[in-house]
Amino acid sequence: MEWLTPLMGLYAAAAAVPLLLVLYFLKLKRRETAVSSTLLWKRAVRDLQVNAPFQRLRRNLLLLLQLLALTAMLLALAGPVLALRRGPGRRYVLLIDRSASMNAIDVEPSRLAEARKQAKVFVESMRSGSLVSLHDQADYAMVIAFDGRAKVMCNFTADKPQLLAAIDAIETGHGASRLGEAVTVARAFAQGRSGENNGAAGETGARLVLFSDGRIEDLDSILIDSDELVFHHIGETGENVAITAMDARRSYEQPEQVEVFVSLANYGSDSVTRDVQLGVNGDVRAVRSATIPGCQQASDASPFRPGKVAVSFSLSYGGAGVLDVRKVGDDVLTCDDSAWAVLEPPRRLSVLLVTPGNPVLESALRACPLARLDPCTPAGFDAMDPAAFALERPYDLIVLDNHVPAHLPRCQYLVFGAPPGGIDVNAPREIEKQIVVDWRAQHPVLQYVNLTNLFTARAHRLELPRDADVLAEFNESPAIAFLRRDGRDCLLVGFDVMQSNWPFEPGFVLFCYNALNFLGTQLGGAEPHELEVNQPIRIAEVPAESVATITRPDGSDVAVEPDADGTVRFPATQHVGVYAADIPGRPRRVFAVNLADEKESRIEPQREMHFSGTTVAAATQTVQRANVPLWPVLVLVALLLACVEWLVYNQRVRI
Amino acid sequence: MATARPTTSARRLTELLDPKFMARLDSLDVLSRKILQGKLQGERRSKRRGQSVEFADHRPYVAGDDLRFVDWNIYGRLEQLFLKLFLEEQDLTVHVLLDTSASMGTGDPSKERFTKKLAAALGYISLVNNNRLTLSLFGDGLRSQLPNLRGRNYLPHMAELLLGTACDGFSDFEKACHEAAAGRLGTGVTVVVSDFLFKQGYESGLRRLIGEKYDLYVVQVLSPQEITPDLAGDLKLLDVEDGDAAEITATSALIQYYKRNLAAYCSELRDFCTRRGAVCVRASSGDSVESLVLNYLRRIRLLR
Repeated sequence: MEWLTPLMGLYAAAAAVPLLLVLYFLKLKRRETAVSSTLLWKRAVRDLQVNAPFQRLRRNLLLLLQLLALTAMLLALAGPVLALRRGPGRRYVLLIDRSASMNAIDVEPSRLAEARKQAKVFVESMRSGSLVSLHDQADYAMVIAFDGRAKVMCNFTADKPQLLAAIDAIETGHGASRLGEAVTVARAFAQGRSGENNGAAGETGARLVLFSDGRIEDLDSILIDSDELVFHHIGETGENVAITAMDARRSYEQPEQVEVFVSLANYGSDSVTRDVQLGVNGDVRAVRSATIPGCQQASDASPFRPGKVAVSFSLSYGGAGVLDVRKVGDDVLTCDDSAWAVLEPPRRLSVLLVTPGNPVLESALRACPLARLDPCTPAGFDAMDPAAFALERPYDLIVLDNHVPAHLPRCQYLVFGAPPGGIDVNAPREIEKQIVVDWRAQHPVLQYVNLTNLFTARAHRLELPRDADVLAEFNESPAIAFLRRDGRDCLLVGFDVMQSNWPFEPGFVLFCYNALNFLGTQLGGAEPHELEVNQPIRIAEVPAESVATITRPDGSDVAVEPDADGTVRFPATQHVGVYAADIPGRPRRVFAVNLADEKESRIEPQREMHFSGTTVAAATQTVQRANVPLWPVLVLVALLLACVEWLVYNQRVRI
Repeated sequence: MATARPTTSARRLTELLDPKFMARLDSLDVLSRKILQGKLQGERRSKRRGQSVEFADHRPYVAGDDLRFVDWNIYGRLEQLFLKLFLEEQDLTVHVLLDTSASMGTGDPSKERFTKKLAAALGYISLVNNNRLTLSLFGDGLRSQLPNLRGRNYLPHMAELLLGTACDGFSDFEKACHEAAAGRLGTGVTVVVSDFLFKQGYESGLRRLIGEKYDLYVVQVLSPQEITPDLAGDLKLLDVEDGDAAEITATSALIQYYKRNLAAYCSELRDFCTRRGAVCVRASSGDSVESLVLNYLRRIRLLR
């Protein structure tokens, strides 16, 4: 048995025991009784006092009981514990997995709740120290919750209520599980603490206590000692059917038409049939039934393959909206039963053609499906106010035909002839009589474009930066290249089409079509709508004084102010679902956060964790108490003694 | 000193003594160890030879003798003057001093009831046997007295006095004894009935009562609660007479000390009496008066 706070008990005893005795002697309330004469009583009292000053304490059952009760309480104050483990205080890092798979409800009420419960039991069983204890033998612990990232919930402390509160504060997340960062953080904190504390607590390294289902991605890259980590395994079943991928696209030719592809995976061993429903803005549009085969794993060594099936939907929808795909029917993990996609309205480009006069190019562009095409002279383009242009964004795409503008507003560019300045491209000289020697026929811009017969009389010799994407090459210089600079996407064609035979080739119109299509998709993809869990929402160019309101999937709102660059960042996309961002004066923007993680959807708990070079088996016992506090027993004894004392007093037992 | 007179609305003696007990008392009489002179010719032999019917002796005449007692028959035969001597029969004074201070009202059964019964029994015996009875109730001095009663006729007076006096007030034993002794005439038996728990002591009072002419009997009556206290816990004991308080914690040790003190006190009283030729009797109010009177008092030869 050990004492946690013996000094506390001593101080209290020093104060309380004499107090009880004094109170006993100075009892205020004496029962008054009439007697015939006090003569003999006074003599008796005098004799008693003379002969035995402590006589009244002797065999006084009431006082004895009171003293015993007080002793029990004082002992309880001293904090005795039945120490099942001895030695100096230890330090623990509680690592609690809160990844998506921990939301599984195969253990009541959920794996994370079970992990929290076990962690709390662990904390409660720690030895606690006290300000007035004789020696510091307290156990210290810190709490780290991790999914894809580690979050320190509580630094090293022996304060159990604080630790319990920190454990309670761990919220569910839908992220992937990666332990590496958490282990690094834990070791950093442990070393930092042992440096500043030379006491017993700092002598041994901190022990990691992991509460997880064992489904952790980066185990291979973590080096760990076999006795450094204790793994408490949580979870029972691996049966789960998940939506692992979803994609929704509009057809370019028929923008009303939307194709939705859904990939379903079955992690159970038996094949299952599930209904998959497609909704638009919450209205169910279609339901498909899909039979998903069971998973395949011949042996432990062979790789695990979940049963997969793809389901596709085709629907006609012209507006903007959120598509959601749901797997009908419950299983233990719900966060991978749905997926969302944000559908932009069909978009047609507004194109500004800056040309001294090029009927071939103009007619080729007019053949493409555009919202509008405005020709403009080079002088007219240079006269535009670049600031107003950047703010209003009247055009999605600017086609520069043989014009090097003085300034280059932020936009998408298709450049024929000399490259504009400011994009790190030089054209020091012209070269003559070039043919295309090589091109990337697979690139979207050059799909179905045959450049075999292209001949140009004069071309600019392009000197490109290293990150430029060369799509076609002359024998001396790049012919067509794609370059991204400062938010501008530039597709450079290094020659004047009128100096070549390209206008007579069918590939020229195809090239114009592809180029507009490609740059149009680049425009739309600048700020993606589909995010992974924990991937921050980024909204650029928000006015400094406006505040963005982010609505989470559960309906709660968060106000986020833009930073100095005018960018709103909202990193807390811990849960799957649809996040909406409202900025005053702007249309609402919607982001779909999907799990879409085959590894997280595989929820089968692992009993062994294969670290780099080490295998840690799950602890066979549930969390064991390090010590048993005895004070409740003592308090109970004190209570019983008080009851007995009361009984004795009331029964007026002759004493 | 007030003198109580019998009233017409006399309380009945049977409230104190039941008829059966009275019948047994009829056969008893008060006995004096000393043969003492009475004031009147009574039913008792006295040491003094005098006018009586019981012949004792003859003695030669000396000048000055009463010529009425000369035995003229002997003078006729012998021509010498002889006097006839007779044993004179005298009466006996029984003086009962009863304590009626507040302390006598305590106890369960009450000491008051016990002592009044005892006094009534003694008085009854005295009156029935034509002894002279003086009944005095004392507390802070003599409270009331029925002096020199003789004959059955006075039984209601005695009962009235006993029943009409409540036990209260202080006790001043010495003053009471002084007053009682001053008013005492003749010879006889004095019986003092009290608990003798007098803070100022009983010695000087008893000394005044002890004299050549009187036998002194001391009857100390204690209640069972005084003999074996039934107290527990922390108490504040209040004296019923003077309100004096004693704070005690009733432990077994304290009770032991109390009992020891009580025993010492009683034996002191007994020794004091014995040394001075008096008889001390201790009684508990829990016992029966009948057995005390019929058995114990006969054994110590107060009664016969």
